[in-house]
Amino acid sequence: MWAVIKKELKQYFCTPIGYVFIGIFLIAFSVSFYFTVIGYGNVNYEYIFYSTPTIFVLAFLIPLLTMRSFSEERKNGTEQLLLTSPLSITKIVLGKFIAALIVTIITAIFTLMYFGILCYFGMPQISTAIAALIGFILFVMAYIAFGMLASSITENQIIAAVISIAFFIITWVMPNFNSNLQSFSFINMLYKYTSGQIDIADTVTFITFTIACILLTIIVMQRRKSIK
Amino acid sequence: MDYYGPNGAGKSTTMNMITGYIESTTGEIIVDGYDIDRKPKKVKKQIGYMPEGVPLYTDLTVKEFVTYMAEIKKVDRKTRKEKVEKIIEQTGLKDVEKKLIKKLSRGYKQRVSMAGALVGEPKILILDEPTVGLDPKQITEIRNLIKELGKEHTVILSSHILSEVSQICNRVIIINKGKIVAIDTPENLEKKAVSKNCVYITVEDPENKMDTIKEKIKGIKNIECTKTNEDKTKEYSIEAEGDIDLRKILFNELAKENITIFEMKKADATLEDAFMKLIEGGNK
Repeated sequence: MWAVIKKELKQYFCTPIGYVFIGIFLIAFSVSFYFTVIGYGNVNYEYIFYSTPTIFVLAFLIPLLTMRSFSEERKNGTEQLLLTSPLSITKIVLGKFIAALIVTIITAIFTLMYFGILCYFGMPQISTAIAALIGFILFVMAYIAFGMLASSITENQIIAAVISIAFFIITWVMPNFNSNLQSFSFINMLYKYTSGQIDIADTVTFITFTIACILLTIIVMQRRKSIK
Repeated sequence: MDYYGPNGAGKSTTMNMITGYIESTTGEIIVDGYDIDRKPKKVKKQIGYMPEGVPLYTDLTVKEFVTYMAEIKKVDRKTRKEKVEKIIEQTGLKDVEKKLIKKLSRGYKQRVSMAGALVGEPKILILDEPTVGLDPKQITEIRNLIKELGKEHTVILSSHILSEVSQICNRVIIINKGKIVAIDTPENLEKKAVSKNCVYITVEDPENKMDTIKEKIKGIKNIECTKTNEDKTKEYSIEAEGDIDLRKILFNELAKENITIFEMKKADATLEDAFMKLIEGGNK
């Protein structure tokens, strides 16, 4: 499994994808930082994770990270190399998932510099900042898992990306149409983390959703063996 | 050993099933005593597979790719570096080991793919159309490499190029429409395919005497002009009765008739004929 993680990371950072992901996210983060901190005089690092520019770029950046994971392998035929190796499908899927998660964690670590800036000028709360970081990573994790599932069902990267962007946007605007859906909204859950609450129910929801998507991806890959 | 068949016969499918890339609907596949459905890991460890169309991670360098293949094939960490070095050396990739795979020519990509298959010391090497898309020099190189590998590994090769098969392989399995039509050595298959006792001859015949030759020489069953060349020579195919070797008689008799022989060849059935015969037989 470590081999797959290593290779995926190499591919993220040998191609522009990894840098684009981190760079564009940090630009959006900076814009939010400017408006909240300088515009409103808020000493809030955690709130930025919930701001519209950050969420908006995430809708496009997460699919960028996940769209190629299985589609590209299938299209280039490198899937054959993986599936004929002694590695189990579970390990392949987990390896790819963890690699994408590592890129997210690296990004999250980069955002800590804004926390540093705030510390220099004011007194931000560390506990809410940690809650926000955990929330952010769980939130992105759920969408990465879904993005991989989307990537595993098609050999076209664009289709994979469109499916995951659509899913992100639907889950983003969904609570605005029906208030009953509020409690299912990932964005609302993220909001709770950014306000400093680590809710067990929310954490379980994120983790369950992630595991469900990973399991489905494994099933899709296994099924494909017999359908071809 | 070679898998040989026309397009769409099922060569790649068979290989994909042996390597565990796709599942078989019926029957079982046993590799080195292990069933691929029950012990996939054990089977996969025995096999080095070079898929059709040389799929590679083009963003990696040659060395990174071979190392990655070694890692996913679970080559022991201590000896991994050495083994990767050895295989890069063996496949002649030493000069390009630090280049990105996407910058390499087709021939080198083919070698990289083969290096990927070789890593982990598999007992069985499965190569799917290893020489497609190469220039003649590269083809010779790859063939030599395969021959070399055949000494240590069992090589299963799929191909639709016959000259390749007869050069490299000890055993041939010809398949058509998913069914085995023949299993034999290339030599035996060639022998089976010889149906006519025939001599091909190119002559200069200024007095047009070739038409009368049939009456003069005993044992000629049929004589046919196949081609008239620009330099006024003519090509004939002469079929003999029974097992008679016509060459000596023709040589002596034609000289008497003032016909000059430019070229004479006994028909030798090739694997190609064997193939055509088997496939046509199967289609009927």
